[in-house]
Amino acid sequence: MTTSAATAPRTAAALDPRRAGLGRTFAAAIVTLVMLGPILAVFWLALRPRLYTDITGPTLETFGYIFANTDILLWLKNSAMVSILATIVSVMVAAPAGYVLSRGRGGAVSAYSLFIFVVQSFPVVVFVIPLFIMFASVGLVDSLGGVAIIYVASSIAVACWMMSAYFDTIPVTLEEAAWIDGCSVFGGFVRIVLRNSLPGVLSTAIYSFLLAWNDYLVALVFLRSDDRFTLPIGLQTFFQQNQTDWGPVMACAVVMLAPPVVIFALLNRFFSIGGIGGSLAGR
Amino acid sequence: MTLAGLALPAVVLMAVVNAYPVVYAGIQALHDGDLLNLGNFVGLANFRDALTDPLFWRSARFTVVFSLCGVFGSWLLGFALALMLKPNFPGKSVFKILLLLPWIVPIVVSSMSWNWLTATPDSLLPVLARDFGFGRVMFLADPTMAMITVCLFKIWISYPFMMMMMSGALEGIEPNLYEAARVDGANSRQQLRYIVLPMTARSTYIAWILMAMFSVNDFATIYLLTGGGPVDSTTSLIVLAYRSVFQDFRPGYGVAISFLMTGALVTLSIILFRQIRKANIA
Repeated sequence: MTTSAATAPRTAAALDPRRAGLGRTFAAAIVTLVMLGPILAVFWLALRPRLYTDITGPTLETFGYIFANTDILLWLKNSAMVSILATIVSVMVAAPAGYVLSRGRGGAVSAYSLFIFVVQSFPVVVFVIPLFIMFASVGLVDSLGGVAIIYVASSIAVACWMMSAYFDTIPVTLEEAAWIDGCSVFGGFVRIVLRNSLPGVLSTAIYSFLLAWNDYLVALVFLRSDDRFTLPIGLQTFFQQNQTDWGPVMACAVVMLAPPVVIFALLNRFFSIGGIGGSLAGR
Repeated sequence: MTLAGLALPAVVLMAVVNAYPVVYAGIQALHDGDLLNLGNFVGLANFRDALTDPLFWRSARFTVVFSLCGVFGSWLLGFALALMLKPNFPGKSVFKILLLLPWIVPIVVSSMSWNWLTATPDSLLPVLARDFGFGRVMFLADPTMAMITVCLFKIWISYPFMMMMMSGALEGIEPNLYEAARVDGANSRQQLRYIVLPMTARSTYIAWILMAMFSVNDFATIYLLTGGGPVDSTTSLIVLAYRSVFQDFRPGYGVAISFLMTGALVTLSIILFRQIRKANIA
């Protein structure tokens, strides 16, 4: 009984694999449509005309309106600067650290690994007040640089794991050959390992960028002046002032979600987070 | 020696921006000061206050419910979608990217969209609920419904992470294993039970631990959708900690709450990690 039940659909598929494939495509399309409902709603609402205008039906006029009448271009610029800065620093710090996690052995590396894990478990709320006091004394409160530093701090643990997971896939024999040829550890890391790690680097960069771009809490606490607002804070403020005027609010939302979606669409083939499991539980 | 040099930037950075604040916060938890002054030493009073506050325990209970939903709800959904995307079919890679969107879209944006879907009686979901004969469902105004809505929102945001983790794990299974099982007469349910689940167990446990950490520490998801209300029903420990610090200006108390929460979390993850290593799963 069980055998026939298992083989029956297989024979049907074997007879007409094309049709079975299209059936799957159809099913997947419906599931995807349902899961993406709330995101489709954003786009649909963005086409709504503003309240108290004569326009009826879908319109792109709201986009012109928000660019002309809100600070959204400034928020966009601030968000981009903070996120790109945080991403670059995060990768530059995490890559060598991940290399140590991947290749190093012994008590010090285990302790280091545990340190990263424990630090990562603390919520941002714990860091925020001491950092606020510390930053206040060096003028980093209400500054984009200060916010970028905190983004680096909050992405660094996972970034180290991601880099380490990628380095694990590069055979150590490559560096050993270079060392024999007189290359230093640092030289071997930069010239052999890092040069072959573009997917790992991009993966980590995408993660750090998304984290910085999507953050709400840190920006909420640290950014005070209008001209330093990043998109999440600007958008949230605009939303609170225009609760029911969904057209312009969602037009801003489209502007905010576009960059991460475009970046991910372009670079997704490099993105892989599955590997961090190995670097986490390995030791 | 050079390895230590390579680790140095990260160590220095984490010592200054991660470790130092935690130590300072630990000192704050023992004082009764405000945002900028440390105040008087009060010993463990903040911890005692937290542990005797009914709101702390209500928030702890919601944190557990929220995290269990976040971990297992998103795992079930993400795993199911990963299984759906395993065989080859036309357009597979497009769906694989599209289904990650809830994780990529900023929470500020998706919370606004969920707000539009649920907040007022004229929103889409309440209207649909009425049309299907469920009567007047208040998605965000009724305490129980608000808890359910926030948990569903969390599952929706988190399933792509699980889908990525589980897709990776599924790719690691040798196709020969399925073949062998089929020859032995195993049906697809048996293959799931005896091949897929054991072979992905390690990734599953690690994904659970990570997601538990992400969920317990998740402030924005709850705060942006409900602000912790109505009547504190969706206040989790992290929201309570945030409010204690930035609305009641009692950082010591807020930090004490976070420390109790993180302590429980780290203990739990270490026990789970031990379990994984002991089980020695492939």
